[in-house]
Amino acid sequence: MKTPKIRPGERVGPRQQHNWDWRAASNFIAGGTGGGLLAFAAFASLWGADVRALLVAGMALIGAGLTCVWFEIGKPWRALNVYRHAATSWMTREAAVAPFVFGTGVLALATGLGLFVLLTGIFGACFVYAQARILAADKGIPAWRHRRCLPLVAATGFAEGASLLAVATPFLIPHVAGQIAVATGALVLLFVRVLLWRNYLRGLRSEGAPVGSLRALSAIDGPFLKYGNLLPAVLLMVGVLGTPLAGAALVLAGLVAVAGGWWFKYTLVRRAAFTQGFALPHLPVRGRGTSGAGVKPGWGGA
Amino acid sequence: MSSAANPQSVRKVPTYCYNCVAGPDFMNVKVVDGVATEIEPNFAAEDIHPARGRVCVKAYGLVQKTYNPHRVLQPMKRTNPKKGRNEDPGFVPISWDEALDLVSAKLTSVRAKGLVDDSGLPRVAATFGHGGTPGMYMGSLPAFLAAWGPIDYSFGSGQGVKCVHSEHLYGEFWHRGFTVAADTPLARYVISIGSNVEASGGPCAVTRHAEARVRGYKRVQVEPHLSVTGACSAEWVPIRPKTDPAFMFALIHVLVCEQGLDKLDVPFLRDRSSSPYLVGPDGLYLRDAATAKPLLWDEKSGRAVPFDTEGAVPAVAGRFRVEGAISVDADDARQQFDVAEGVTAYTKLVEHMRKYTPEWAESICDVPAATIRRIANEYLENASIGETIEIDGQTLPLRPVAVTLGKSVNNGWGAFECCWARTLLATLVGALENPGGTLGTTVRLNRPHDNRLLSVKAGEDGFMAQYFNPTDKEHWVAKPTGRNIHRTLVPIVGNTAWSQALGPTQLAWMFQREVPEDWNMPMPTLPDVWFIYRTNPAISFWDTRTLVEEIAKFPFTVSFAYTLDETNWMADLLLPEATDLESLQMIKVGGTKFVEQFWEHRGVVLRQPAVEPQGDTRDFTWISTQLAKRTGLLEAYNNALNRGAGGGAPLKAENYDYSLDASKEHGVEEIWDAVCRASSASLSEGREVHDLEWFKEHGFYTVPMSKTEWYLSPTLEKQGLRYEMPYQERLLRIGRELGNRLHEHQMHWWDEQLSEYMALPEWHDVPGRWTQQIKNAGGKPEDFPLWLLATKSMQYHTGGNASIALMREVAQNVRGHTGVIMNAKTAKSLGIADGDRVEIRSHIGATYGDAVLAQGVRPDTLVILGQFDHWATPVAKDFGMPSLNTIAPMSMELTDATGSGSDIVRVAVRKVERKEAAV
Amino acid sequence: MTRYVMAIDLRRCVGCQTCTAACKNANATPPGVQWRRVLDLETGEFPDVRRSFVPVACMHCDEPPCEEVCPTKATTKRPDGLVAIDYDTCIGCANCVMACPYEARSIVHEVKFAYGDKPIKSEEVRFDPARIGVSMKCTFCIDRIDLAAQTGQVPGRDPEVTPACVNSCISGAMAFGDLDDPDSKVSRLIAENKTFRMHEELGTGPGVYYIWDKG
Repeated sequence: MKTPKIRPGERVGPRQQHNWDWRAASNFIAGGTGGGLLAFAAFASLWGADVRALLVAGMALIGAGLTCVWFEIGKPWRALNVYRHAATSWMTREAAVAPFVFGTGVLALATGLGLFVLLTGIFGACFVYAQARILAADKGIPAWRHRRCLPLVAATGFAEGASLLAVATPFLIPHVAGQIAVATGALVLLFVRVLLWRNYLRGLRSEGAPVGSLRALSAIDGPFLKYGNLLPAVLLMVGVLGTPLAGAALVLAGLVAVAGGWWFKYTLVRRAAFTQGFALPHLPVRGRGTSGAGVKPGWGGA
Repeated sequence: MSSAANPQSVRKVPTYCYNCVAGPDFMNVKVVDGVATEIEPNFAAEDIHPARGRVCVKAYGLVQKTYNPHRVLQPMKRTNPKKGRNEDPGFVPISWDEALDLVSAKLTSVRAKGLVDDSGLPRVAATFGHGGTPGMYMGSLPAFLAAWGPIDYSFGSGQGVKCVHSEHLYGEFWHRGFTVAADTPLARYVISIGSNVEASGGPCAVTRHAEARVRGYKRVQVEPHLSVTGACSAEWVPIRPKTDPAFMFALIHVLVCEQGLDKLDVPFLRDRSSSPYLVGPDGLYLRDAATAKPLLWDEKSGRAVPFDTEGAVPAVAGRFRVEGAISVDADDARQQFDVAEGVTAYTKLVEHMRKYTPEWAESICDVPAATIRRIANEYLENASIGETIEIDGQTLPLRPVAVTLGKSVNNGWGAFECCWARTLLATLVGALENPGGTLGTTVRLNRPHDNRLLSVKAGEDGFMAQYFNPTDKEHWVAKPTGRNIHRTLVPIVGNTAWSQALGPTQLAWMFQREVPEDWNMPMPTLPDVWFIYRTNPAISFWDTRTLVEEIAKFPFTVSFAYTLDETNWMADLLLPEATDLESLQMIKVGGTKFVEQFWEHRGVVLRQPAVEPQGDTRDFTWISTQLAKRTGLLEAYNNALNRGAGGGAPLKAENYDYSLDASKEHGVEEIWDAVCRASSASLSEGREVHDLEWFKEHGFYTVPMSKTEWYLSPTLEKQGLRYEMPYQERLLRIGRELGNRLHEHQMHWWDEQLSEYMALPEWHDVPGRWTQQIKNAGGKPEDFPLWLLATKSMQYHTGGNASIALMREVAQNVRGHTGVIMNAKTAKSLGIADGDRVEIRSHIGATYGDAVLAQGVRPDTLVILGQFDHWATPVAKDFGMPSLNTIAPMSMELTDATGSGSDIVRVAVRKVERKEAAV
Repeated sequence: MTRYVMAIDLRRCVGCQTCTAACKNANATPPGVQWRRVLDLETGEFPDVRRSFVPVACMHCDEPPCEEVCPTKATTKRPDGLVAIDYDTCIGCANCVMACPYEARSIVHEVKFAYGDKPIKSEEVRFDPARIGVSMKCTFCIDRIDLAAQTGQVPGRDPEVTPACVNSCISGAMAFGDLDDPDSKVSRLIAENKTFRMHEELGTGPGVYYIWDKG
């Protein structure tokens, strides 16, 4: 029989969480994008765009994310117990929003009524927000509970939604003004995402965080800025300027921006998700010895 | 739901754990519907047991030990006649009848040939594991062994190199301390040199030291790595390995040369030590010509008088002119002095220690002189000389300072010096065997084992009587009676029941391979039959790869087996015993005992079957009775039981008689019922008699004992005896005699060891002996730049529990249980990262493990916890752990005069690929 | 009111893992799952190095973040301060695992035994399928605490109603009892010594007090 080896040091400092794997990450990845897309689809519908395909895509994304989670939880056949704690649990609230998303979405598709489209968008936005709050409430993961994480997670959801709208724009919005508007909106959201990302990273570094989190997030910092935000921003500018390949630029920009967001969220939920670890504000006094200075192993920044 | 949620029956069965030498400790086994499920403390013993009825982590593995699927559950016979590590033994199950027939036929044929062979060595040998603990599980086997006659216990499983060997011998010699401890409950200052008492002292030591920490004592831990004990100390002094004597000499220097006699406990030195004895120009005591009694200088009469002169006031220090004295050297060679200068032993000491300054020690020990000086002065200051304490109505000196020594400090070269220095440090401040000070725990080389105070008898020269192996021409044992030749080579080890196992046990193994060139004694032979129980020398001794080859040569090995292991892989017969939670036995508890069991009670405790024996395992008492019956020794066996060989009191005494009919075979319960009754009757002096049923319910029986029995000095005072400190005239003489005997037989292979017999120990390059040994073996010392040490793990220490999954799991929470500990900077310089697979190579071989990087270890030192590197023991064989034992040589050069070696080896370390490391 | 807490004297603890093993015995946790363990924490640089031993487990917080995030109400804080899990309600979403800053919780998805796939006898009689796929953690030996209500015994004083780890501790480092009772052992220890609580700055109000020096 093989017995796994555990080094004591690994169990003192923060360690990477292993309870939420790619399936849980997928919920944040797909669900956030889906929710954001629904919000922007609703927004676009105000200008008369036919967003039915977008609604389907948004719901599919959310559905896919939730399905992944369903496969991850220990007792899937008890999944409905998730609705028992609306008073404080953002997971309950996320789950509670989902039926409204799907209900209004289906009604929107079936009736074509703008009200339902709008409600779907609102619930989609709520879904994004609830997800961000789930992470924020997880005190065991310093990288998530940081107060600048919540706006970032929400922002990337919306940026991804807008970016997917940009992908669809050449097919849904024939007039240039509309395309420019979408591209501009996406651009603004990417800009906000970048600001919040930098702000978040700066916050973690200055206030201190598990070294593992800092390392994982720092590792994606450059590429995320360059390829996840700058590159799509340039492509969106191309779209805004209305050059001949504007349509293709929008599609590419949207896909790259979404990929960037997904990469960030996967990193956040998996690779940068280090636990709090343990810390001693005082070391014990042994006999007539002295106490030592406090320690917080495995933490960096600050 | 589990059936445990709705059990039909739940019982709590009181019993004991004695898996390590720090026991016994009391516990309960929770049994749910006949299945043992939990181990719990026995709170009924909270006010009696020094650890308040608690057991350590090891005991919690006993449930898994019982139900371990890898257990041997029926007798097994070897079918492959070839023996070797790569030979599958081909064990096949047989019945108990067949198994017992096999072994008794063998034994009967041995008896027919004679109990000893042509070399004068016993034909039957036995090896039991650590520190007498197997005796606490072997039921009535001791009665069978006693009935048998001579048995060779020479083949050690680590005795001498894994214990505190020199302390056993010299501790018992100087102050009846087979092991030595601090009087922790009263101590204010403890210098702990390599003693890992928080890991190996069991719950009693842990409890006592925890209390002392909270009370505010100071413990200074002097050792190359930051052990658990170091961690729990007020200060860590990372000393260079094997330089402890130099450190201690410098402490003594500060006391006697810098502070001086006025600051020391003069009355104690004057009356309880041999400090006033006058030493003549030949380095021997000046003695009274008529009586040969050592002389001292009487300040009252102003002349030299025999030490026991009534009313004399001895001078502790000084040089005096003595007329008409004699000295007595080895072989009673007497010298007459018309006029001689007599120097008190104390003054000799002061002059001797002058050169050992802290500054001198600094470069040797890698400890700043200021630190050494401060520690010495703190020690002296805390000794509070003059203070007293009242214990049970008796006023005794309170000297709350102690020095304790650990494994590797306490065995091999340098250990004699450390033991001497430690005992002397206590003597100088009057802390030897006084409240708060340095105390012996128990005796094993003297008798009785359960009360060391009773072992004190007046002997020669005003000291305690000692029972050395003879070195005089007439009585010296020129023809060894055991394979480690303890009676021939080691006078101080004596010749009682424990002596043989405390002889130079590695010699028994080494001489099977090769004897020295000038060996002029009968050639060592292999025993016809070898019994092994709770022992695995193929893992726990040294140079284990070679040792396995020796074990494979034994013609008939009988293993009382729990699982397969590396030693019984070579066995011919496996006899599975009902183990800890399945069998019946009573043992004595209480009094004072290693490691820090200081009780205020004496008594007995029962181990009883909490659950039915698994498979076809049998109670050891049943096995023993069957062996006795089938070898025709039933009567002698029963008589041995009647004498008390089973563990408790003799079955017959003045005020009771529960003796067994010697001619009949008795059942297990019948035997122990008699022991229960006799023990309770004996303890209560006939007031209370409790049978087995009573003990099954209550678990133990004790009577109160005064705490004053913890201290030996009052007994010496009562008998007017002195500690043989500081001057070792007797040892010097005996060493010379031993040399004479060996040389008369043209044997010089023990000459280096003879150099250890000194009146006042000198520093010699102790660590240098290891590099010299490499040179002599044809290696280059610079190829092995690091020290490798082994240290103890509470989770595994003598637990025989390497196959217990729970221990593996919880032990990994403690640093070092996943590989070899090395200094992070050293590792970096060698390109080794935490968790890397490394090869640790000595000049005799390599062992492999994962690097565990730490700051709490000297840059020149590696440390391995416990002893692993298993290849047959289930579970453990998959650990991938390194072991010092694999690569430590057995070597005459590294064997000291007591026959012990130090658990340390010079090594090199390098990173290797995982597949390269697969042995 | 009653508030059960633990006081752990770090000056006493030797990191022996007796409590870890006792907990595994008492609670029949599967291999690799330790509701309680003792950290072995080295700090500093050679030769100025310290090693501390820190027993950790569920801190039974005043404001348990696990309870807040639990979507099923499987995790609840009882009036006596114990944070409990209802295994029949928990869905094993691991949100509580993420919320706990003390790494106290674990979820086992596959049945595992000490010696492989097959349980040994002691595991067989105590195997509880309800604990597979749900969140688990130290319960402060909740059954014993509940027993006290029936027997009138006092948790922390009477061993039968005291957590197994506290009973087992050989260094006397662990104490358990009612913080609202000023005469309880824990109340006295906390009043008389210097203590801290783990990650107090997170506002969880942990119910484990670490003693590090005399008062």
